[in-house]
Amino acid sequence: MKNFMMIFIGKEYVDLGLTEENVQARMEKWFAWGNKMEQAGILRGGEALTTQMRRIVGQDRTVADLTSADVKEIVGGYYLVRAKDFDEVQEIAQDFPDYDLGNTVEIREIMVFDAH
Amino acid sequence: MEYNLIDHLFRHHAGKMVSVLTRIFGLSNLEIIEDAVQDTFLKASASWQKQQPDNPEAWLTQAAKNRVLDIFRRIQSEKKRLPELKNGIETIAINELFLDSEIEDAQLRMIFTACHPKLDPRDRISFALKTISGFSTTEIASALLTKEETIKKRVLRARKTIKKFTISFTIPQGKELPQRIESVLEVLYLIFNEGFHSNNKDVLVRKELCGEAMRLCKYLLKNKHTNISASYALFALMCFHAARLDAKINTENELLDLKSQDRNKWSFPLIQLGNAMMNKAVENNEFSIYHYEAAIVAEHIKASSFKQTNWDKILQWYQQLHKLKPTPAHLLTMAVVCLQNKNYIMASYYFEQINPNDLEQRSYLYYGAKSDYYSEINDKKEALRNLNIAIETVHNNLEKEFLIKKKNNLSN
Repeated sequence: MKNFMMIFIGKEYVDLGLTEENVQARMEKWFAWGNKMEQAGILRGGEALTTQMRRIVGQDRTVADLTSADVKEIVGGYYLVRAKDFDEVQEIAQDFPDYDLGNTVEIREIMVFDAH
Repeated sequence: MEYNLIDHLFRHHAGKMVSVLTRIFGLSNLEIIEDAVQDTFLKASASWQKQQPDNPEAWLTQAAKNRVLDIFRRIQSEKKRLPELKNGIETIAINELFLDSEIEDAQLRMIFTACHPKLDPRDRISFALKTISGFSTTEIASALLTKEETIKKRVLRARKTIKKFTISFTIPQGKELPQRIESVLEVLYLIFNEGFHSNNKDVLVRKELCGEAMRLCKYLLKNKHTNISASYALFALMCFHAARLDAKINTENELLDLKSQDRNKWSFPLIQLGNAMMNKAVENNEFSIYHYEAAIVAEHIKASSFKQTNWDKILQWYQQLHKLKPTPAHLLTMAVVCLQNKNYIMASYYFEQINPNDLEQRSYLYYGAKSDYYSEINDKKEALRNLNIAIETVHNNLEKEFLIKKKNNLSN
């Protein structure tokens, strides 16, 4: 078994101007998804990120304060899960509720450094 | 698993889960939350009869977590105020609230809510025992020797007050904090005293109350903003008192005064814990009433027998305590201490400053002590007269039996 990170990238609800009902329906799906992983015993943790960011770029260390509205897409958070391989995580990621918004799940394996 | 053990586990866990869920959905949805937690436990109770889970605590936490969605829907359907959830990803953050460290944080928030100065002092204890400690109203009523109807009213009134003043579910910070901690310590000490000085014959109920007060006080000690020296002093005081809880009642369920207690029955580990807490409490020089009260009990514990008690030292501590918080009860105790020391002039000096009516239901203690005073100075007539008033005014049966026994001895 390996540890993987599912990184959620895309638009924030607030920037898409979703209706309250739509948001609530999505919240339910998120709750349900979290519970499902929890009950399967594969969930290792996770974190949600706020929509504020400070970006520092390049040689000149140019600084910009941005919010999710200012960028094309933003990393919203991640879940850590335990699985056999990418295929298994891909299966888990089927329940991600926001594909229809054009949002993305990026699956990455957690590196384990082994000094031989 | 025995029924009592499940009951105990549920009770403790209910408070935790209500606190965590309140962090998610807010105090304005407290009733829905409490219903949901109650329902979870009813279902657990039924399912555990068939098969008990390996880790009951984890099972219950998971069950409560599963209720998040139900509560969410119910709040929605009742068109109540939903928490400010703006993005699905926030559910990840909600999940984190069920970690142990976060549960402790939530409990501390609930303690501060229950002890909020806007709540009527009488409502605070009932609300705390209901919401944080998971007692049923029936249990609270029997523990506090009050009618169930009264308890229900108090809990309801507390909830209304919380809504009315939109009390926030937070651990107060800055200037507000010291005063708010003071209020928390006061409530915890009252809960403890309800158990320790209770007239309740049910020893288990008394222990449960003392244990709850100590458990909640521990939360204060674990948090770096609330572990002030007064919190340590209160915990030390509770340890010293609790150490003597078993010795307070004999096998015939009779109340024993300090003089007649079997000191071997005092709990040594609790005394040690109390000492350790006391050392923490005196690390700075800010002394609270709990410091002096703990010092007084410690003085009693130090004495290897009642005769060995250092009454001078105890009187000094009481004088300090009385300076910090003057009450007729302290005056009465100082009079009694002087009697122990056979210092009748000082005793009468303190007696004279007391108006027994100020002691309300405890005025019998004044008459009892006065009777002792007159016995000591060989005025049997006055001694009997005062003892009769004491017997007339006492409400609690255990104490009454104790006084009647005393009267029989005096008359012989």
